[in-house]
Amino acid sequence: MSKRIAIVEDEAAIRENYADVLRSQGYQVQTYANRASATQAFNLRLPNLVILDIGLDDEYDGGFTLCQQLRNLSATLPIIFLTARDNDFDTVSGLRIGADDYLTKDISLPHLTARISALFRREDALKKPIDTDHILNTGDLTIDSQRMTITWQQKTIDLTVTEFWLVHALAKHPGHVKNRNQLMTDSKIYVDDSTITSHIKRIRKKFLSLDDNFDCIETVYGMGYRWNTH
Amino acid sequence: MSSFKLRFGLRAKLLLLSSFLFIIPWFGYQYVWEMEKYLRYGQEQTLVGTARALATALHERPNLFNNQASFLPSVEQGKDLYGYQLKEAIQLDGLIHDWPTKEHSQHYYGNDNILFSKSNNLDGNLAASLNFTASLGKYDKYLYLFFKVNDNHTIFRGANARSITHNDHMQLSFINNRGQFRRFIVSNKQAGWLSAFELIPSEQANKDTLIPQPMIQGHWLLTPTGYNIEMRIPLKAVGDKIAFAFNDVDEENGEVLSQIGSANPQSASTLGTILVPSPEIERIVNGMRHTNSSIWVVDHHHRVLASAGSLKTASGFWQSSKISEQPLISSKYWQQFKNSVLLPLYYKILTKPPTDFIDKLYDAQHLTGDHIVSALSGHAKSQWRLTTDQQALVLSAAYPIFINNNVKGAVIVEETTNGIRTLRNQALEKLFTIILAIMLLGALTFVFFASRITSRIRQLSSQAEQAIDEHGRIKSDIAISKTNDEIGDLSRSFARAIKRLQQYNHYLENMSARLSHELRTPIAVVKTSLENLSLQQNQASENLYIERAQTGINTLNEILSNMSEATRLEQMLVNTEKSAVDIIKLIQGCCQGYQHIYPKHHIELVTDNSLPDDCTITGSAEHIVQLLDKVVGNAVEFSEDNKVTVTVSLKGKYIVMQIINNGIHLPEQMLTSLFDSMVSIRPNKKQTQPHLGLGLYIARLICQFHLGEIRADNNYQPDGVTITISLPIAKQ
Repeated sequence: MSKRIAIVEDEAAIRENYADVLRSQGYQVQTYANRASATQAFNLRLPNLVILDIGLDDEYDGGFTLCQQLRNLSATLPIIFLTARDNDFDTVSGLRIGADDYLTKDISLPHLTARISALFRREDALKKPIDTDHILNTGDLTIDSQRMTITWQQKTIDLTVTEFWLVHALAKHPGHVKNRNQLMTDSKIYVDDSTITSHIKRIRKKFLSLDDNFDCIETVYGMGYRWNTH
Repeated sequence: MSSFKLRFGLRAKLLLLSSFLFIIPWFGYQYVWEMEKYLRYGQEQTLVGTARALATALHERPNLFNNQASFLPSVEQGKDLYGYQLKEAIQLDGLIHDWPTKEHSQHYYGNDNILFSKSNNLDGNLAASLNFTASLGKYDKYLYLFFKVNDNHTIFRGANARSITHNDHMQLSFINNRGQFRRFIVSNKQAGWLSAFELIPSEQANKDTLIPQPMIQGHWLLTPTGYNIEMRIPLKAVGDKIAFAFNDVDEENGEVLSQIGSANPQSASTLGTILVPSPEIERIVNGMRHTNSSIWVVDHHHRVLASAGSLKTASGFWQSSKISEQPLISSKYWQQFKNSVLLPLYYKILTKPPTDFIDKLYDAQHLTGDHIVSALSGHAKSQWRLTTDQQALVLSAAYPIFINNNVKGAVIVEETTNGIRTLRNQALEKLFTIILAIMLLGALTFVFFASRITSRIRQLSSQAEQAIDEHGRIKSDIAISKTNDEIGDLSRSFARAIKRLQQYNHYLENMSARLSHELRTPIAVVKTSLENLSLQQNQASENLYIERAQTGINTLNEILSNMSEATRLEQMLVNTEKSAVDIIKLIQGCCQGYQHIYPKHHIELVTDNSLPDDCTITGSAEHIVQLLDKVVGNAVEFSEDNKVTVTVSLKGKYIVMQIINNGIHLPEQMLTSLFDSMVSIRPNKKQTQPHLGLGLYIARLICQFHLGEIRADNNYQPDGVTITISLPIAKQ
């Protein structure tokens, strides 16, 4: 039973390119050129994963609207924003609305497919019993790399895929400074420095909302970040 | 702007224009002159009117003129005499000093006036050993006579002589008011009081009786050259005909050698005439005295019959009608100021009419002048003349007096123009004061107005200057002026232009972001297509091209990220919250990091001893790191000896970082624009990385965000470049 992926993208060439790649990977792909046709289809039946562009035809924020509608239909449906808009504001908005990942269009296709399979993996892993092999424990932090879940002081932290991989890359070797490039390759994202910074900021905020005293992610000026265990 | 060329600003121009105000005083002055002309004309008419009125009073009154010798067709000097109006009483002492010493008031009688002589001179003409000068005058009720006789031998009457004619004696004859012919002889036995005798004619010839006549009083005074006789006769005894003669005797009891006189005193028909100013006419004339004029009445021989008033007080009708002294400002200080400052200034231009002037044109007896000649020929005439000392202007009008259609005399009325001049001066004073006030006020208004306009334009220009900084970036809007005039319009159009420029600048600044955004999609299309191609194709040769295309696309991608980096940074900085950052720790950490990143280079950190232990600034640590990354990255790239020095010190309230590398200098003109967007001074060699010159621009943005400064300087020995970053430390 192959996964069904829906791509909502107004630029036909890109849409079809992505669709071709994903099809060659063995996914079933449905493509939609605008919000109306996509909404119609999603109301009938939800796919297993949705890839959205933000600007759809003449709707500047059509993707955001669609994302909200989808989140109302399903809380668990993996949603990826794949867009040309790489500014901070849009990234934050997209993730806040409930997307699982926010990728810019300059991501390479292998990266894209890796992110997609990671999302599916997490979805599948959540349904499986916990296998301790994949569990990493450092202090109060527990990482399950199969189910792609992270808990802090036994409380689950809701992280996006990108955030998960960033935390994973940092916590794998506590005390080691990871510079931005290392973090990017580890977490399979391709963004510029400031995006990494804002990702780290968001991760800190998520931990702090559970634990006011959280200070494990240390900024080492000029070098990168380091996970400290106490 | 700061050129030393002489600027001819708006204010100067307006002041120049306002100098046309100076036409006003000129115009006023002209007007007053014009007015004066009319006043003079009016005065002339008034004067002629006065003369006419007086003449009218004298017309057809022959009795006024009858007893004067007016019927004579002509008068003969010396024979027809005139009695001056004397100004002061005469003391009968034989001395001349109390007589007016006017030349023409004395008449000389010499050889031309010989009535009888026994001797001849060389020419065969009659000669006399005697001559004299005579003066006549009238004072009160007397006619005074003064004779200065030059005689080589003064012979008095013998003490016991019976004859009164065998010595030096004087004969005097006149016709009295009742028309009787009377003869007198003055013959003294000694100097002193005169002995006068009247000859009473009898039926028999040469049997005239002599009776002493006390009516004739006087004094006989001996002088070195002869003798003086001063005498008086009551006026009522004298008619209008008179003659006097001196008989010269040169030896005791001798015969009369010669006789010199004004006319033959022997008979009534040979007498000359005498004219004394007529009291009747004087009375009529005196009635006109209040006219502020000097009035003369002359007979047709130009001899004065009566006069009244003096030219010195005759300043005309206007004298009495002075401008009512209602001062504009009745303040003591104003009066003081006016008297001490304004009036002296005015009278540099104006002339005060002289209160003292001398006019010797007329003697008291005989008036001359065209106007009189014209009047005596029957035509009234007025004329302007200067006094003989050129001090005052005199207006004279003459009007004929007719008796039986014959001109028997003329009335001459004279006035100076002093009244008018005073009036004019007063008018001009007032005018000048008002004009000064107007000009002062006008000039002040002009200056104020000009200053106001200039300052507004200056303000506008400085606003326009400030709106755009030296890099051509728009810093601030121009405050839109609400004034509804041209300068307001200018300000508004400036504001509009600046706004449009700002919009355009904004558009340009966003251009890179938009461009990168717009290009992303087609690049993504190419990129994904290539990737699909490479996934599907397995032939190495084609893969080579695909790889090359992918390299190109990746480079393009990088360019796009760089392009949007600055824009995104600007947007991010707006939303970034500042927090306390330990700057020293941050720099130390960064430098360690750089040592890792650039293993081939030696990154040296020099911290100043003066630095306190904790140096915090308020800002965003990530961005300061980003800033250091850019600057150090540049320094490493341009370093020629693989050495970069970072120094940190505290200067006042600023923490100062200097990143020094040795290498090529920056071009001087680039030092300031180095931190602008899209400026790159890299040599055009093949670059491994695409470069848009945004690195240092981003550095500047971050510095500005932290209220700091960034500067580039060349340094020497060894050559290199220093980038100086100063950031304000947080207030404790």
